[in-house]
Amino acid sequence: MELNTASEVISFAKKLEEENAKLYEDLAQRYMEGREILLSFARENRKNMVQIERTYYEVITDAIEGCFSFKINPDEYTLKTDTLNKTVEMEERIIKFYSDAAEQSKSLLADVPRVFTMIAKKRGERKSKLEELLQKGKTNF
Amino acid sequence: MALLEEPIKEILKLRNYINGEWVESESEQILDVVNPATQKTLAKVTMSTKDEVNAAVEAAREAFPEWRQTTPLARARYLFRLKELMEDNFEQLSRVQTMEHGKTIDESRGETRRGIEMVEVATGIPSLMMGYNLEDIATGIDEYVIYQPIGVFCHIAPFNFPFMVPLWFSPFALATGNTFIVKPSPRDPISQVKLAELMDEAGIPPGVYNIVHGGVDVSTNLLEHPDIKGVTFVGSTPVGKVIYRKCGETGKRVIAQCGAKNFMIVMPDCDQERTVAALMTSFFGNTGQRCLSGANLVIVSEDDAFYKKFLDAFVGAASKIKVGYGLDESIQMGPMQTVDSKKSVIGYIECGIREGAKLILDGRKPNVVGDYPDTAFLNPTVFEGVTPGMTICEEEIFGPVASVLRAKDLDEAIEICNANSYGNGDAIFTSSGKAAREFQYRVESGNVGINIGIVAPMAFFPFSGMKDSFFGVLHGQGRDAIRFFTESKVVIQRWF
Repeated sequence: MELNTASEVISFAKKLEEENAKLYEDLAQRYMEGREILLSFARENRKNMVQIERTYYEVITDAIEGCFSFKINPDEYTLKTDTLNKTVEMEERIIKFYSDAAEQSKSLLADVPRVFTMIAKKRGERKSKLEELLQKGKTNF
Repeated sequence: MALLEEPIKEILKLRNYINGEWVESESEQILDVVNPATQKTLAKVTMSTKDEVNAAVEAAREAFPEWRQTTPLARARYLFRLKELMEDNFEQLSRVQTMEHGKTIDESRGETRRGIEMVEVATGIPSLMMGYNLEDIATGIDEYVIYQPIGVFCHIAPFNFPFMVPLWFSPFALATGNTFIVKPSPRDPISQVKLAELMDEAGIPPGVYNIVHGGVDVSTNLLEHPDIKGVTFVGSTPVGKVIYRKCGETGKRVIAQCGAKNFMIVMPDCDQERTVAALMTSFFGNTGQRCLSGANLVIVSEDDAFYKKFLDAFVGAASKIKVGYGLDESIQMGPMQTVDSKKSVIGYIECGIREGAKLILDGRKPNVVGDYPDTAFLNPTVFEGVTPGMTICEEEIFGPVASVLRAKDLDEAIEICNANSYGNGDAIFTSSGKAAREFQYRVESGNVGINIGIVAPMAFFPFSGMKDSFFGVLHGQGRDAIRFFTESKVVIQRWF
């Protein structure tokens, strides 16, 4: 089902971050060599949740297009996985979500697209770290 | 999408808040506060007696001298505490608004945020309330002006923004050292009760802030009370005119923000996609129940292709709006606030048909998301071929109905706007600075939007209005509010 309202998109983003945090905590238990970096991802997910929520609550106004800005199909952006190998693909989808959400929320006050863009960038950096981790894992895991 | 949890679990019995106490009314006239989406009763509200109104005024009058002597900095600190409590209770306050009014959760959160912004601005009172001076108006003589609070003010609140609208006034009244009485709309008074609970928790002294529930009789008693120094009102134009006249007769200050019929002018060079999104909020946000809603859409073009393309996009977007209970996050438009409001809107739709407008999107048989009675719901409605003089072009419908007109150029569009008796919030959508400037310069509207569909001024600007949309001199919010709630005292001094 397509998400159209700001409230739906914020809830979806928070859910993504929460699920990701749990996933990385779980992976950290199983891939001890990448434990610290995976736990840092989980911590970052929880910070993202707080930041997304705070930004939304600080700038939401009924006077601009909160209910009419988004056309987000959540299925396009989610990938259920419990293995490290799939996390790069999962991150790519999440980066696309935040990039699309940033583009579509241009009509909202600037803080909302800004936080989406910032998280997309952080997830891009995370993707590179995951690729490195997987590369190392070919020999070590 | 799952429904957000409802904060009201059982039927509330609402009481007056007078002199820092929650007081049961002795009146036997009790109304139900109904959730317009579910039609379930949320609360019982009593229509207060004249004695109870008098008690509130007396409490406010007695509290005034001490509150006035509380320093502006100390008054600001009460407001800082209130702001923190509002932030702590943000989500609950928002969900209560959705339950009692029907608006979507995004809209309610937006309303809560706007309300908090009023408190934030009023905390700047030590600077905002400063007077000014000039030394040596003659040799050795100085002159200065002091802004002083006046006494007891009241607010008669509308139903459409039950939380925010009283906050256009109360924080400024309190910050300037006045005492205040709010009469919430009996249709959705719960969020004002929640706000008063926070005022109480913030430690606002007894009598400084009071709530008296009721309808017309309570309003009349407040208007006629000799100890009320000023009245703020937001509501319909006919009632606003009565209040303005009564305040004139009794020498009270008044801000009467009234009805509207706002024009949205669409130029051929607009950004179509973003304009349509903005217009959805403007025409159908808050289910069209706001004085800044778009009502008449004027498409400016002699080019049939542009006209048709834009209208198709507008109608297409309107037809896809999800209507239902606002605590479902996917909902884009809630119900009308009451069944009677819905009937009134349907009456206007029928009138539009009779007068020859072409109904191109009929919202009378609502398609509601979820299992709710369709009692108060409507879907968006769009009329084409509307012309000045038709009832649906001239009168405030206060519902999700868009009347589409056509103008050959900007001059004609501005003429159409200015011929209307209201002047609240007109807007133009264009990428031309010249057209925007011309519109801003000539349009007779107190609030003007340029690529903004809801021209709602921020807390630090006045909420303006012209013609039949406003009666008074100074407006709510911002520096106007500071001036409204204070008297200028001029001192000329010479020392021998």
